[in-house]
Amino acid sequence: MRLLRELSRRKLRTTLTIVGITIGIWALVVFSSMANQINGLVSMGTEFYADKITVTDGVAFGTSPMRLTDADAIALVDGVAAADPRVELLWETDLAVSFSVPDIILGSIPGADAGHDSFEMELATGRMLTAEDAGNVVVLGSSLAQKHGAVSGGSIEIRGETFEVVGTLQPTLTAPDTTAYIPLASAQPIYLADLPPLVAESLVANELINQVVAYPEAGADIETVAAAIEATVENSATMTGAEFEETVGATTMIFNAIIIGVAAISLIVGGLSVINTMAMSVAERTREIGIKRAIGGSRGRIIRELVAEAGVIGLIGGLFGLGLGTIVVVLANEAGRAGGTVLFDLTPLTAAFAVGFSTILGMLAGIIPAWSAARLDPVSALRYE
Amino acid sequence: MSLLEGTNLRKTYRMSRRTSVEALRGVDVSIAAGEMVAIMGPSGSGKSTLMHLLGLLHAPDRNDGPAPGLRFDGVDVTTLSDRERTRIRARSMGFVFQSFNLVPTLTAEENVALAAAYAGTSGSLARKAAREALDSVGLAERAGHRPMELSGGEQQRVAIARALVNDPTIVLGDEPTGNLDSARAGEVLGLLRKFNRERGQTVLLVTHDAEVGDTCDRIIRMRDGMIVGDERVAQAAETVGAAAPRRIAVPSAAAIPVAAI
Repeated sequence: MRLLRELSRRKLRTTLTIVGITIGIWALVVFSSMANQINGLVSMGTEFYADKITVTDGVAFGTSPMRLTDADAIALVDGVAAADPRVELLWETDLAVSFSVPDIILGSIPGADAGHDSFEMELATGRMLTAEDAGNVVVLGSSLAQKHGAVSGGSIEIRGETFEVVGTLQPTLTAPDTTAYIPLASAQPIYLADLPPLVAESLVANELINQVVAYPEAGADIETVAAAIEATVENSATMTGAEFEETVGATTMIFNAIIIGVAAISLIVGGLSVINTMAMSVAERTREIGIKRAIGGSRGRIIRELVAEAGVIGLIGGLFGLGLGTIVVVLANEAGRAGGTVLFDLTPLTAAFAVGFSTILGMLAGIIPAWSAARLDPVSALRYE
Repeated sequence: MSLLEGTNLRKTYRMSRRTSVEALRGVDVSIAAGEMVAIMGPSGSGKSTLMHLLGLLHAPDRNDGPAPGLRFDGVDVTTLSDRERTRIRARSMGFVFQSFNLVPTLTAEENVALAAAYAGTSGSLARKAAREALDSVGLAERAGHRPMELSGGEQQRVAIARALVNDPTIVLGDEPTGNLDSARAGEVLGLLRKFNRERGQTVLLVTHDAEVGDTCDRIIRMRDGMIVGDERVAQAAETVGAAAPRRIAVPSAAAIPVAAI
């Protein structure tokens, strides 16, 4: 209380300092939340791609067709335990430029992974697809289900065809959220229709795939197996978990660098501003500090008083920054959710870090003026006008 | 018994690279317990400097000449650290300064409680002691007011309450009546005199006001950094509120009408 009274003595200056810290911490909260989200996506992605080798056609970044027989060939490669042939398509054929993860239609044969896929997906409603499923049935990822308001037992239109929704998934924060899982046989005709007529002419729908996920045997070296697959299947390209991390890790690094940058800027600007405010305050209170020292206030006590005051400035700035940051994050996520783009993840740890960071920043910045105040000679300080 | 015993006290203040002021040129002084002493002299005579040394706010110079000696209550204080001297000031000394000597953001009670806290008394006990001290200077009703809301005389009485809250061995005043009119000055002096008599607190006042000197038991006169005189003042009576000694009327605190303050 007494601290707040001290601070309210210099309302404008204290307010400006707090505003400065608020802006810094606000930026820190927003960027950290964005980084949380992206790091979360990346680590889920890494988990998703871990211990599997994704094989696509090597010519045109996986958009060219492969044949079902390629999957059989891959299954025979040394070190491959199972090969899961798939058709992966974009939900929308005319994809507008967007920063969000596109919606995906994934046709596969349930159980083709022979139990090797370690990525666990949990049902929100309904059931998973089974090998017996045929025709237009679909299991929807959480974002898709939400976007289309679909529930198990209902139906949904995909590429002009009506599909029965048999299940919806729990959020995973990665690819499955925006994926519609359908039987391979249902995906093949859609894929064929997508291909340019000249290419499509020579192809038969039920031989058509564009991706094979190969599961290595336990103990097999993934990179060696990937190389063997590339050697076996003509024009194939492979992607392993390690490669995924390498590609995406660079993005993560940039974001982490931005956060460190924002933190450093708020550290410098906020810190200098606190030092300035407290130094002015010490100068104004020279007499008062002299009195306190004279009547028996120890140096340690004077330092503690001033450092606590500076810490309160930091704490208030931190709380306001966190409050503003939370508002921005919540509003942006609310707005983005409709379009399936959740950009921010404000974790309790981030919130606690932001407030703690600004409080400690304030206190550290307060030490310098507090130290000089404690060094004042009480007699000269008393004479100070 | 001597409460404060100073020998060969010297202090030179360096004003700039070339000029320095010899504020004290080797002073021997002894203050007995229970005495009320005035240190008088013109500006620049070294009287404030002497009080700062005796109040442990500054340490005497140690260079050139025989080593200085300063004992407080039998303890050699010349070799104490800043922390130890601060501790003695907090627990055994009370200070009253000329003016503006209260913390402006704190109420009267909080100002007094601050001194109690410095002496190691905790929260509610400190506040209780503060209220009692304010009551003893006739300001119980003004405890919740900030210095801005108090008159000069009231502020100085709060300062006296603050100086007395820890029941110190000695109270040191640097021109405690310097900014007050003669009626208020009389009240402040009366309070100091009263506590000196009733509680046996030693009082040491620096002043250039002859009337203040006449209220005391003893006057030490200074000039050019030396003690040039040391005389006893014959007080008319030891009873509080009795007829004044030679020049000044000393009202007792009890006799001060609150409305007049």
